[in-house]
Amino acid sequence: MTFQTTPQAASAEVGQAITSRKLHPLVDLQCDRTWFEELQNRQTRGGPWDDWTLYQLAMEAEQAKRIESFEQLLCLRSLPSFEPMPHQISTARKVVHEMGGRAILADEVGLGKTIEAGLVLKEYIVRGLARRVLILVPASLVLQWVRELNQKFGISAVAQKKAHTWGYDVVVASIDTAKREPHRELVLNTDYDLIIIDEAHKLKNKKTTNYQFANLLRKKYCLLLTATPIQNDMDELFNLITLLKPGQLGGLSDFAANFVVDKRVPKNEDQLQEALSGVMIRNRRGDGGIHFTKRFVKNIPLTLSEDEKALYDSVTGFVKERYEESGGDLTSMLSLVTLQREVCSSRDAVFLTLVNLFKKTAEDSPMRPRIWELVEKIKNIKANTKAEKAMELVKEMNDKVIIFTEYRATQEYLLQFFRAQNMIAVPYRGGMNRGKKDWMMDLFRGRAQILIATEAGGEGINLQFCHHMINFDLPWNPMRVEQRIGRVHRLGQTEDVKIYNLCTVGTIEEHIVNLLHEKINLFELVIGELDHILERFEKGDGSLEQRLAKVLLESGNDIDLKQKMNHLGSSLSRIREEVITGDQPQPASPDLIVNLDSLGQTVEVQP
Amino acid sequence: MNEKQVHKFVNRYLEATECSILEKSPNHFTVKLSPHADRELTNRPYYWSFVDRVNAEPETMTFLFVTDKNKYDAAEEAKINDAAIKSAQAPAENAQEAAANAALGRSLGFVHGNLAAPARVPREDLFFGARKLDMLFDAAKAKGSYVYLFQEPDKRSTNPFSSTPYTAWLGVNMRVEFACDRKREEIHCFGVSLATGQCVELFYDRLLTHKLTPRLPANIHITKNGISYNKALSIVEQTLERKLRAYDYSWAESASARLEEELERISGYYEPLVEHALADNKPAIQEQFAQRQSEIRWQYEPRVTASAINCGIFHLEGID
Repeated sequence: MTFQTTPQAASAEVGQAITSRKLHPLVDLQCDRTWFEELQNRQTRGGPWDDWTLYQLAMEAEQAKRIESFEQLLCLRSLPSFEPMPHQISTARKVVHEMGGRAILADEVGLGKTIEAGLVLKEYIVRGLARRVLILVPASLVLQWVRELNQKFGISAVAQKKAHTWGYDVVVASIDTAKREPHRELVLNTDYDLIIIDEAHKLKNKKTTNYQFANLLRKKYCLLLTATPIQNDMDELFNLITLLKPGQLGGLSDFAANFVVDKRVPKNEDQLQEALSGVMIRNRRGDGGIHFTKRFVKNIPLTLSEDEKALYDSVTGFVKERYEESGGDLTSMLSLVTLQREVCSSRDAVFLTLVNLFKKTAEDSPMRPRIWELVEKIKNIKANTKAEKAMELVKEMNDKVIIFTEYRATQEYLLQFFRAQNMIAVPYRGGMNRGKKDWMMDLFRGRAQILIATEAGGEGINLQFCHHMINFDLPWNPMRVEQRIGRVHRLGQTEDVKIYNLCTVGTIEEHIVNLLHEKINLFELVIGELDHILERFEKGDGSLEQRLAKVLLESGNDIDLKQKMNHLGSSLSRIREEVITGDQPQPASPDLIVNLDSLGQTVEVQP
Repeated sequence: MNEKQVHKFVNRYLEATECSILEKSPNHFTVKLSPHADRELTNRPYYWSFVDRVNAEPETMTFLFVTDKNKYDAAEEAKINDAAIKSAQAPAENAQEAAANAALGRSLGFVHGNLAAPARVPREDLFFGARKLDMLFDAAKAKGSYVYLFQEPDKRSTNPFSSTPYTAWLGVNMRVEFACDRKREEIHCFGVSLATGQCVELFYDRLLTHKLTPRLPANIHITKNGISYNKALSIVEQTLERKLRAYDYSWAESASARLEEELERISGYYEPLVEHALADNKPAIQEQFAQRQSEIRWQYEPRVTASAINCGIFHLEGID
């Protein structure tokens, strides 16, 4: 019994079932009469008649859903299980009430653009202003969007898979699929109430097919999401805004005359900001405040048992020999260094690698007996120092805890180890399919005390309900360490996060922990800073992982190794100083050309 | 709607659709749906078309509807704790039972803890905004749209030969939407006496004060209709129109102003573009121009629409 309001219907003649009367010079009253026809139908047929209680319930439902005023943000009352942050609410409110539902959401990374878009979408759905909705995102984010909209917002969004999926009301698709036939025609022939485009900075070049496709879409409301609206070129900004509100910055020639000195240099910034404020919102991270909880990092030094130490030393010797044999060829040696790291993790991990290595070497190779010697040494090891310490820690905290390891074999070992002690631990790894990952998450949330994960990356593992984590071993890539911490220490975490690094004394592990902890101060960095540090570090001479391997293999003895590590460490701390004080010879990455600070609020979310 | 209101709503729906409530507390219902409610709520069209075709006895679903999540979860947790304490007190008995179950499991395959337990009881949290509750809303509306009712006489007439006069009313609950790029709604309830043409507002509230029944009561007679249904319809629409005319339309004025402004802005962009376009491109650009204009009208054009939530014929005592 509601109208379908389309651009055609709004201007076309009204049908028979609807009468139109003038209420005001500007406004017509349209009365739908379908109810009356149906009532008469039922009278002539003598029924069927509906139930009086259901009649009342239908009325009560409508009364509850009624939209009382233009101004409120009604979606909030139907989202009881989740509380958006104040800047997200005020952004949604501004888009709906001041911008007419067409906006560029340009918050800095991590402030929740998806949430803001979800709020706007929900608001329009609740108000009955949007039914047909299209959400275009990069292919890798399709499922994440679908899950988020369904779980957080209770919106039945559907991932586009087959041609018939386009018939659903809320469809999430990748733009690369949507722009191709046969989808293209279906999409372009639909009037969408709302279109959301994520990662919209990919649309800045108007010669691309993506841009041209986006420009052809028919839409009422439209949201473009991007963290970097203008990075290289003023024209990009103009193109993006033309998708949304053509003419907001004048025609192309006006724009060039009024706002552009050079491709990369704007002029009349005040007027430009004024014009932008009608279409763009950008919230930034603040410089203070403590919305993020604290991180406590504790390194736990462990001494290897005699057998373990013996294994470590012989593996180290073995690796060095091979390196000298190869004559300093680094690339083939990286996998050998892994052996050393694996010894620090568990005998199972190193065993697996050795066996594989054994299989690969020729039968008459002199290496075979050497490898076998190592395997023999493994057999002597009866206990795992680290696992016992981990168990002690877990029992002590008596709370949910996530244990990260780099190696599948270690993961398996730990699962068994905890099971033998009657503690419930569940695994999590990259190879699991979506459903199994979800299941493991649910088990961890519900019953298990321990989650043992080999993978931190990838979407969908949000563990705010857990605030203890143990790094059973550390990856050499600092970004992966940050990813691990980011699973737990993120928006929504209400407790201080406690991080334990298990670190075996007198092994490379000690050096790595020292480097990451003391020199980069990795565990206490602000989100985003690590990117800068690594980017600048790697401009020099290969990735950190490679450099570490090189140092390790080339150093003759422990003292030499210590010196070289110190050298590496000090160059890292120097870069860190530069990044943090902003004292950079030249900016590492192009910053935004136009200062957009006045287009939003500063959000205090620093750890 | 708060938790209590949701609870009451669900209760009344389940009763009205003759579902069998297996268990309930102020925070939840465990309910085996009636065939009618199952059709509306479980989204199983294939199953139901199968049942209809082969005339099979339908097996309806059982749900756990939780109307107050927090309290329900707290209560469940307390129960588990109680059970844990009890089982700690009687471990021997339990161990025996567990062993028996395990043995059964070995010989019979998987056995449910309790054989009488229903197969699967999916849980739905019902809160305002939850999808299942929206389905309940829609289900109520689907089967609560058109009614034909009589007022039950207050007291039995002592004299079986006297007859009470009744009047037929056309009652309708209207939702009026005021929309541009934003929207607000009002609900108006009208009743028109088919005898006299008198139009009453807040008619729905008046109906709630009476007891209504679908059956024709004894010893009544219905006054002859003085006006046609079509006449009644136009009385409703005219009354609504008169009422709405007196409203403040500054919202529409500002929406129109925004619309004009936006149209102007678009023209400012496209007109020079059209002018300088090559002959080949011109139609495409003009088409896009027209498309943008119609989008903007669609977005901003102020409009008021009235549609019925539900309606019916009501026979009430008296002649008005």
